[in-house]
Amino acid sequence: MIYFNNAATSYPKPEQVTEAVQACIRNMPASQFRGGAQIGQEDIEDKCKQALGKLLGISAFSRIFFTSGATESLNSVLCGLELEGDILVTQTEHNSVLRPLLNQQKLKKTSMKVIPCTGEGEITPDALNKSLSLSAKALVINHCSNVTGKVQDMEMISSFARDHGLLFIADVSQSAGCLPVDADAWGADALIFTGHKSLLGIQGTGGFYIRPGLDLIPLKFGGTGTNSAKLVYGPSEYEYEPGTQNLPGITGLLAGVQFIEAVGIEKIAEKERRLMRMLYEGLARIPGLQLYGTAKTCQGPVMSLNFPGLSPSDAAYILWSSYGIVVRAGLHCSPLIHEAMGTAGSGTVRISVSYFSTDEEVRAFLDAAAEIMASLSPAVSQ
Amino acid sequence: MKIISKRESREKCAESGWFAYDYLLDGKIDRDFILGLKPLGGLVYLDMLRQPFFKVESDYFMLKGIQGNDYFRAAVHGKHEELLTAVEDFVNRL
Repeated sequence: MIYFNNAATSYPKPEQVTEAVQACIRNMPASQFRGGAQIGQEDIEDKCKQALGKLLGISAFSRIFFTSGATESLNSVLCGLELEGDILVTQTEHNSVLRPLLNQQKLKKTSMKVIPCTGEGEITPDALNKSLSLSAKALVINHCSNVTGKVQDMEMISSFARDHGLLFIADVSQSAGCLPVDADAWGADALIFTGHKSLLGIQGTGGFYIRPGLDLIPLKFGGTGTNSAKLVYGPSEYEYEPGTQNLPGITGLLAGVQFIEAVGIEKIAEKERRLMRMLYEGLARIPGLQLYGTAKTCQGPVMSLNFPGLSPSDAAYILWSSYGIVVRAGLHCSPLIHEAMGTAGSGTVRISVSYFSTDEEVRAFLDAAAEIMASLSPAVSQ
Repeated sequence: MKIISKRESREKCAESGWFAYDYLLDGKIDRDFILGLKPLGGLVYLDMLRQPFFKVESDYFMLKGIQGNDYFRAAVHGKHEELLTAVEDFVNRL
């Protein structure tokens, strides 16, 4: 089996992650500041926030809060900011941005305005300028497209947000752990991440960072293990991690981040870029195959393609059933970018590698793609 | 050929807007079985593939699978799920 669906969730995980999760479940639970049973033990949550802060360029790492993933993080941040006016989003955004903005009751006083992207998913200065409105309050940007792998110029975009007084909300779900991220350098007001993609943790983990001085009204309230007698919060007293935390998940996430730190983010990015170059160059040599980007323009570990004459879901079905290759077909939960790509009907076939992908797997995929394309011309169609 | 089990596809996203089911057969799909599906709709048969792929499409449903496997997928548009019963009867008579 060849797994090229790492943009959905990474597989395999480092052995350290599996071991860390198992150990966490096996050991006596450390239940958030209740009963003193933790004395002398490491605080895994703090340690994980510190490690994430180092990896994602967040000096105020205590302002990282854990959630079940990027979707919960985006709902929490977008609703919690109590915005009124236009929220600028890019055409590359995921439904975890679009759907809260269009459906959450708490966002009824906002209007979503879409910044168009190029066919490869690039957000240009011109597009930003043309999308600016007087009532714009925030800008949400996907660092790396989960469809084309286009990596945005975050310095340029954050500078635009700063110059126009917009809150800058960066979604690094697809880039955290495989591309350099620097929230402080970008001046991010909020940063959204998920744990189960390139951070190599397990599903059900993720979080958000909110810069010091910026408060959210929480989406969820409940027990936090601190000052239980207080029932009503005053302004700036909010807590963002109510309920028992997903400690096995956070422990696994810490192990994933430690693995990335040990290998080095640059080494991971370079290996994935090399595999992607192999893919782009090999696929470009197959006549008729439709690619959406190049190794030069799209530098994330994910790409899109189509086999003309086959729907993406049929192509994915063949790749799995005949070749044992797992890819993803469709719109990839990012419907708007497909309008720019010309694939709004049925989407694309998405290929996404990880640090654990190999040259042999890439070659096997290239052979399969060539064989499928060659078989399309004489197809019996009645 | 007889259908011996049917289950809802786990890959709902892949057949957006449609309800997809995976059917298990009591034998392996061969060329005759595939060509026998022609009365159900337009047939696409990629027989040059290492493992030939087929797809049969009508306005409201679609079948697809791989020659040599003992299963195939059927997807039906939400409002026409009753059509699958006729498709199942047809397949069971092949």
